[in-house]
Amino acid sequence: MTIAEPVHNQRKYVGTSVRRTEDPRLLAGRGQYIDDLTVPKMIEGAILRSPLAHARITNIDVSRALELPGVFDVITGKDLAAVAGQQPVIWLPIPDQRLAKTHALAVDRVRWVGQAVAAVVAVDRYVAEDALELIEVDYEPLPVVADLEAALAPDAPKLYDDWPDNVSGSHSYKTGDADAAFASADLVVSGSFTHGRAMGCPLEPRGCIVSWDSFSDTLDLWLSTQAPNLARDLLAEVFEVPVSKIRVRTPNLGGGFGNKFDFYGEEIIAAVLSRRTGRPVKIVEDRADSFVATGHSRDQRLDFEMALNNDGTIVGLRGISYGVLGGALSTVGAGPCWASVLTCMGPYKIPNLDVTVKVVMTNRAPYGSYRGWGAPKGNIVHERLIEMAARELGMDRAEIRRKNFPAPEEFPYFSGAAFTFDSGRYADCLDLAMSKVEELGWRERQAKARAEGRSLGIGYSFHIEPSGYGPSRIMNLVGLQHSGFDEATVRMDSVGKVTVYSGQINMGQGTHTTYAQIAADNLGVPMEDVVVVTGDTDSCPYTGYGTGGSRGAPLGGASILRASQRLRGKILRVAAQLLEASPDDLEINDGQISVRGTSSKSVSTRDVGDAAYRRLLDKLPEEEMPTLEEVDVFDPPNMATSYGCTALLVEVDRETGMVSLLDCLQAHDCGTVLNPMLVDGQLAGGLAQALGGALLEELVYDDEAQLKTASFMDYLLPTAMDIPPFQFFHQETPAPDIPGGVKGVGEAGTIAGVSLVASAIDDALSDLGVTVTRFPVTPPRLLDQIREAQSRKEGSA
Amino acid sequence: MSDSQTVSVTINGHVYTADCDPRLTLADFIRHKCGLTGTHLGCEHGVCGACTIMVDGRTARACLMLAVQVDGSTITTVEGLASGNELNPLQEAFWDNHGLQCGFCTSGMLMCATELLEENPDPSAEEVREGISGNLCRCTGYDSIVKSVLAAAEKMRS
Repeated sequence: MTIAEPVHNQRKYVGTSVRRTEDPRLLAGRGQYIDDLTVPKMIEGAILRSPLAHARITNIDVSRALELPGVFDVITGKDLAAVAGQQPVIWLPIPDQRLAKTHALAVDRVRWVGQAVAAVVAVDRYVAEDALELIEVDYEPLPVVADLEAALAPDAPKLYDDWPDNVSGSHSYKTGDADAAFASADLVVSGSFTHGRAMGCPLEPRGCIVSWDSFSDTLDLWLSTQAPNLARDLLAEVFEVPVSKIRVRTPNLGGGFGNKFDFYGEEIIAAVLSRRTGRPVKIVEDRADSFVATGHSRDQRLDFEMALNNDGTIVGLRGISYGVLGGALSTVGAGPCWASVLTCMGPYKIPNLDVTVKVVMTNRAPYGSYRGWGAPKGNIVHERLIEMAARELGMDRAEIRRKNFPAPEEFPYFSGAAFTFDSGRYADCLDLAMSKVEELGWRERQAKARAEGRSLGIGYSFHIEPSGYGPSRIMNLVGLQHSGFDEATVRMDSVGKVTVYSGQINMGQGTHTTYAQIAADNLGVPMEDVVVVTGDTDSCPYTGYGTGGSRGAPLGGASILRASQRLRGKILRVAAQLLEASPDDLEINDGQISVRGTSSKSVSTRDVGDAAYRRLLDKLPEEEMPTLEEVDVFDPPNMATSYGCTALLVEVDRETGMVSLLDCLQAHDCGTVLNPMLVDGQLAGGLAQALGGALLEELVYDDEAQLKTASFMDYLLPTAMDIPPFQFFHQETPAPDIPGGVKGVGEAGTIAGVSLVASAIDDALSDLGVTVTRFPVTPPRLLDQIREAQSRKEGSA
Repeated sequence: MSDSQTVSVTINGHVYTADCDPRLTLADFIRHKCGLTGTHLGCEHGVCGACTIMVDGRTARACLMLAVQVDGSTITTVEGLASGNELNPLQEAFWDNHGLQCGFCTSGMLMCATELLEENPDPSAEEVREGISGNLCRCTGYDSIVKSVLAAAEKMRS
């Protein structure tokens, strides 16, 4: 099924499963993560966090903490607010949204459990934590808004006194005439879907080391971030210092998953402490910090209905997507909840849309970025509703999907709400997945198990992944206060070796390998000759946004590709002088340049490097500037929409409500596949996160908005026993607007995997007519549904 | 603190001796006193397994032990697996099979799999899954780790 479509001249590395250049040092324990770094004179901080979800701070006494030997400084919100602005919010997709902003340390009121109220810096973390226990804070408790229903109640306590209620904002997208479509439709299916709170939960907690040199007025950071350029710009905003005075370096990241995209208060707190003490300050979360201080996500209720004709054609979709925000906005504000509405039509042509996002403040932790952003929830809407419709109409689940796809020739296809999908062969991808399910004999396994009285189900999910965020001006138009382009520098040195500099961050996805593949192929040099440098705002170029929105491969890759192609032109021009030939007649292979079709005479990149940097006389053409370097900035004309069809085989235990995942496959199209092994790794990892989110993971708040699942004993990440084996099948439809044809792939699995589990459970319990609408589908929740369905069935029998 | 104790321990063949507070965890001793930062801390409550090391030939969670408990012990950390610049067969298999992404859980995964293969040189995929089920990985979805361990087992048997 893979269609080989040549994207550029030679493809020695691109498209092959090259082993990662990153791996040997990581395998040897030589990686350097944030907590592995020390800088001279460094001291360590710790944060005192609110034990209450909503309260006024009436007094803070830090005197005993300051007296503890080994303590350098203690600060409160008042100290911080005197020198730092509020935490920035870059996503403002809802017009006239009320903005709940806050300082890095609470000044006079706390609005969630875990909100930072004071910070200590001491000789080491042990002493800093001792000192936290000596800080006395007086709180005057306020009524708590623990969840969405409480926040929307007519007499709800307000989080912000000068607001009329707890609604931060809402915004609708309308296309066609949804009301008329619903009035004349043959069938309307509806559901209220909820996804509990979850988080990206990288295994490495966040951290920073900040040095504020007051004598040169420079700010030097090591920061575990996916977005160093953004962090630098936001630090400049908060402290009103020039960007040029700030350097952000990023060490190895122990996973990011969006959680390390956002800009957090800890980097501001550490900066203030460093400025006051004159010492570099390290603050690294422990897991207890992380559960309340790193972005939560997913928390949404989606009330939607879909209108169809009897032949299965979808004619309308309408509904409200509620975002359960926390006590203040994170860096990305309402962004992820907004994106759930932009993706709720999924891969289907729906002529009449009336969809609304409404975001509401609660006394929960702030809502931040997590891989997939809003798309996993958008996917729940369209995939749950289309399966419910198939059941009502007695149609095959694949058939009804196929019926509503845009045909390949209908692209670029406007979704009806902001996004235009660039290209796709959706039906082919669906067919590929279905054929693999057949080949692998899942239906036979299901039939055999059913004959034995076991409940096996096959689930499907078709997902779209808007990737390569995004065209800068369009991003600005929809509310992003930042850009979306990507810049790269490709340099060949005096001995003919190559260094690629990118503003993208390597957080485990393997961009140092894929970037080297792209550069090597487009320059015509061996991959071993290419070094990739990222993670330093002083030496690496600017990237708009950062490493998020599945943009590392399509946008980071495209700028490297274009810079490499131009540099190759210059290399050939210099070589032409050395070979006394025309550049047009030359080719470069494995770093050797010769006249095409002959092997008699050649020069190497080493010769070219020498001519361009050192011994120019008679070698470097007069009209050429010395050195070999090209810079490219790629601002995409459109996003690149990946897609896939995923299938899952599950077994449901009707006695316990336990769901076992037996097998999983995905047919996927991310355009040009740079490295199949790494793409499969992205797909598998994302799916595992979604499967965990669908079945196990939930940040549970009680009525007082106390977080009940703040350790790995209670917040259950999936283990190797929970996750099934995966198989992936690729279809390549090159992205028309991205040089190289690459579409993003980082978020595919997280988008596809949640509705997928519901689909499989429904199928396993088809005789009972169960429809899963609430995630995670924990055993008690599913058992309730099974028992209810059983008694309903018995009642009607 | 005044009641510090001297701890002497052999790690990857080197003897490290240091004065430590009784409350110093073994993980912090290894990372801060010995400079061996390959042992990672993911949760500090004994669930994630990133800090898994070998103490006297058995895996242990360095975050759940105190440095004073291992006085006189012999410890292997991830830095002790390779010989010079040569990765061992298990590390090679992880490299070949994309058994790691961010690399943070990898140290603990490798130590856990080392013990697993010592005890069972020819494990089934199910046995590998069970064997590594006490170590969390957030990047890979585990399948490539299972493949890596199986590939290493095959190579080490031949």
